[in-house]
Amino acid sequence: MTVFTCDSNIESIFTCIYDAWVWALQYGHENLRLEREPILQNSLFDTYVHVEPDREKAEKVARSIRNKISFQAYIHIFYGCLYAEDVLDSMYQYLRIGFRVGKNIEHMLTEPAVMRMMEVRRKVGNEIHYFREFVRFQCIDEKVLVSHIEPKNNVLYEVARHFSDRMPSEYWILVDDRRKIAVVHEPKEEMYIQQLEEEQYKKLRQTEKVQDEFTELWKIFFDTIGIKERENRTCQRNLFPIWMRKHVTEFMEGKIDE
Amino acid sequence: MSIQDKLKILADAAKYDVACTSSGVDRKGKEGFLGNAESCGICHSFASDGRCVSLLKILMTNHCIYDCKYCCNRVSKDTPRATFTPEEICELVVSFYKRNYIEGLFLSSGVVKNPAYTMEKMCETLALLRYKYRFNGYIHVKSIPGAPEELLATAGYLADRISINMELCQKESLEKLAPNKSVKTIMEPMKMVSDTIAVHRLAIGKDARMERSQGNQYLPQSIFFQSEKDKIASVDKKLLINMLPQEKKRNALNSSVVDKFLPLGGTYPAKNRAFAPAGQSTQMIVGATPETDYHLLQTTQELYRRFDLKRVFYSAYIPINEDKDLPDIGTAPPLLREHRLYQADWLLRFYGFHAQELLSEERPNFNEKLDPKCDWAVRHLEEFPVEVQTASYDKILRIPGVGPKSARRIMQARRYGKLDFSALKKMGVVLKRAHYFITCNGKMMYHTPIEETYITHQLEDTGRKENWQIQHENTVRQMSLFTDFHLQQS
Repeated sequence: MTVFTCDSNIESIFTCIYDAWVWALQYGHENLRLEREPILQNSLFDTYVHVEPDREKAEKVARSIRNKISFQAYIHIFYGCLYAEDVLDSMYQYLRIGFRVGKNIEHMLTEPAVMRMMEVRRKVGNEIHYFREFVRFQCIDEKVLVSHIEPKNNVLYEVARHFSDRMPSEYWILVDDRRKIAVVHEPKEEMYIQQLEEEQYKKLRQTEKVQDEFTELWKIFFDTIGIKERENRTCQRNLFPIWMRKHVTEFMEGKIDE
Repeated sequence: MSIQDKLKILADAAKYDVACTSSGVDRKGKEGFLGNAESCGICHSFASDGRCVSLLKILMTNHCIYDCKYCCNRVSKDTPRATFTPEEICELVVSFYKRNYIEGLFLSSGVVKNPAYTMEKMCETLALLRYKYRFNGYIHVKSIPGAPEELLATAGYLADRISINMELCQKESLEKLAPNKSVKTIMEPMKMVSDTIAVHRLAIGKDARMERSQGNQYLPQSIFFQSEKDKIASVDKKLLINMLPQEKKRNALNSSVVDKFLPLGGTYPAKNRAFAPAGQSTQMIVGATPETDYHLLQTTQELYRRFDLKRVFYSAYIPINEDKDLPDIGTAPPLLREHRLYQADWLLRFYGFHAQELLSEERPNFNEKLDPKCDWAVRHLEEFPVEVQTASYDKILRIPGVGPKSARRIMQARRYGKLDFSALKKMGVVLKRAHYFITCNGKMMYHTPIEETYITHQLEDTGRKENWQIQHENTVRQMSLFTDFHLQQS
């Protein structure tokens, strides 16, 4: 079996799908597999082919998914690229069915690959929504808003899109602490994604310590609004799991470790 | 008084209000303004009682001339009082919103001087927020019973949702517990708001009635279902002529309240503002008076049908005042009962059930051990088992453990292949409840008899832990060395 491997960015993934497809036209879809790098343990009898990103090929793949299957299918595949685990092979199987049957594919849940992609889409979609809820900005010098998140999946940009609609005329930065990338937004400018250098990251890390009048007011409000007679910590934990509270103002106490 | 103290007092006074939803309206952000609105609604946090915190829920003031016996702000209660100025509220909203703490404002108030004065002050705050602070996020405003119609209209054009609390659904209870309010001062504004919303919706080419969950269009027995003939009949033509929305809106938005702020933020697109686009809601107290669940649910259904309310909320009564007409202080709030009512409310809005199917004069209260849908199913075993491969949408939706989403997935997926139990599970069907009621390709999951007592016992067992938690979560807990014996964590 031949294994096509690639980096985890969207351009590489789409190029990998393209190259694998070309190869399959000659040798058959059954004889290949796709995997995301890094490959931790190579198997003994497979041939590994590394694919380098190629903008033109990637765009072709994206275009044909949108035109020949549907926009919904494109979102499934796109969210698959953002997903923390490797679902490349399911994506490929999904596309094989998709190019055969067209836009009805999203309803064919009895197919394992389609079911898998639906789950992936739901998980990534849910995480995007969680961060729309639980992102907290700190206000620096009454001008710039900075927020830190640590998403499991690579959803930073999707989360930022929500805020670019919501706060088009503010300066804000959204930082992914886990991947050390940031989205920077300025009024009247296109927002952009940036890989952070160690120095920049350290500096940005400090912002979470910033407290002002409103962080205090918010904590007062949050503590007051719960009804003592109805206290239900289990319910609170179910709806707002503890691992998500790390960067959330109302649950932060005292200092933040470096 | 510092702003911290004020916030503490006025948030504390507002916390018993239930509605904290920010759903029902989709609005894009705009250059130069702050905020947008998402129709799904966004919760921003969850308080210690597990309720969502979506809006900055505060009272404008907790001074009140009324003496409603169940209320924490009644005039005869000795409690610290405070008042926010409109600017203070706006500052709070905008700063909280920018930090993504909240989705918008929920503004209610005690009654100062008279209802008209209070409502005018509230409108002033909203106008300031919209025009000067250019806030484009969600606003939920509570209407004061007895406020004049013009001010109610002004509030409706500035806010996204407007609500009038019904509190008690029986006339006698209301007279006894809220001597200053009357059924008239509650129902008339409710009617006026619902008519204005309908007319406004027609004027912009929408259906007169609010959008409901999409599945309802496939449920001819649903309480929201309307034939084409009903749709036309439901609009009172005379009303339409009298209430031409443009005319009405001009009057409402030219009132002295808004005029004050127009020069400040001149460009706020007042012309495009819809009237309460997220509809109207209300809330009812559960457990303070002898009303039965049947009574409450019937009222709910009527409110949805007659006034096209978007939501009806229930609030388990927490005794805060000592009074001979009310439960004693220390009585546990009826949380499980409240939970059952919400479950039934969902059955009305999403599942095509009617109040009369779930309860009756003879059985006026919900079963504590079983949720209303399971309870209905075990009493109607003649409808089961349902074959998921061929049954219609409304039949599938009535299976316990199947919701609108999984029902839709079943309908779509079965056109392309045979379903099996593991596929059903992945589609979101809760098999531990559903498997007693379904067959998949002619087979049940296990060999279980379709027999009322057997299934009832099984289901009661499945739900026991959940029910117990809802009722006792805060009264019983495990002992802890740290909190009970004050050991310090080193």
